[in-house]
Amino acid sequence: MRKYRIDHDLERLRNQRRGGIEPAREHPESQDDRALVEQAKQGDREAFATLVRRHQDRAFNLAYQMLRNREDALDVAQEAFARAFTSLPTFKGDASFGTWLHRIVVNLAIDSLRRRRRGGEASYDDSRGIAEEPEADLPANEDPAAALEAKQTRALLARGIARLPPAQRAVLILREIEGMSYEEIARAVGCNLGTVMSRLFYARRRLQQSLKPHLADLR
Amino acid sequence: MGAMAHWLHMSTGRGRRLAAYAAGDLAGPQRARAEAAVSGCPGCRREIEAHRRVAQTLRATPRVTLTDAEAGAFWSGVERRIETRERPHRIPARPALREMLWDHPRLSLASAAAAAVLVVGITLTQMGGWLSSSNGFPNGVEVVSVEGGSDAPVMLFQMPGSSLKVIWVFEEPTAE
Repeated sequence: MRKYRIDHDLERLRNQRRGGIEPAREHPESQDDRALVEQAKQGDREAFATLVRRHQDRAFNLAYQMLRNREDALDVAQEAFARAFTSLPTFKGDASFGTWLHRIVVNLAIDSLRRRRRGGEASYDDSRGIAEEPEADLPANEDPAAALEAKQTRALLARGIARLPPAQRAVLILREIEGMSYEEIARAVGCNLGTVMSRLFYARRRLQQSLKPHLADLR
Repeated sequence: MGAMAHWLHMSTGRGRRLAAYAAGDLAGPQRARAEAAVSGCPGCRREIEAHRRVAQTLRATPRVTLTDAEAGAFWSGVERRIETRERPHRIPARPALREMLWDHPRLSLASAAAAAVLVVGITLTQMGGWLSSSNGFPNGVEVVSVEGGSDAPVMLFQMPGSSLKVIWVFEEPTAE
């Protein structure tokens, strides 16, 4: 554990000295996660249940942002944990448990999107998920007009995201909504940094184009 | 910078770095280099501003959380899936013929019709053979000889091409 922390700090320093893309952030709970993962590998179901409770909201949110449907997101999130449990023996701990789990969620969500597409569902630019857009809590001091505008922008964004190809959608959500670093995204999606940058670029560009008329009016 | 130069700027790897810069993803020298590149390109600055707004709006997207009921039942759902995976994989049993016929009424009707046609066909063939023979016996059966008087008629049959012979002895029932 201690050695890992030192290695991690060294890596962070090296990255800062290189002046590259912002370094990967370690989740504060990941040290505990490692211990729980080890226990779960020995067959401790309760340890795995703790991991599930710890990560279930994040996994669900990621699945939801990808699929824009609560039922499908719940299904994907639960399936991801079940797969993670059966694949624990192959988990070497190079990435954090959370990143590894995100990879499973993203892959399952992409599969689900592709199945929808093959099945003829108009999921690519449908608006059924948009109707489920959760209401953000309106701060007491927020101008109602500004709140309405923000809501409209979010709805437009959600439509724009729904039109993105699954791989671009995954990278964009991991970066912008989940706040993951490029390295974490590369690990979670299973591609290199250049591909992450490229997918992000095209995803942002497409979104920007679909929001162009609206963005011009924004302050 | 002209429109063409701006397009080249934003369509290459350098452009991708500028988009990353717009989203606040670059640090240190890379960030400084991007800032220098943008300073002489008003078109790039506009595009970067648009990228930045998209990124800000995306980051303000509210997180979706599980309801209390969903969160409470989440682990049990995962556990059920794990147990399903751990259960030995069984090959699904082939449906019994009766079930197949019950489930597919057309198939059962076709089977019944085929059976009926077969029975009728065999019966007609048999009858045709008996009817078409000149000696009142099935086709091909030859009566070799009929011996004995009216009290004990003996008939000797033989199938053509066979050495087997069948002797029938008809006896009158004796009166008690």
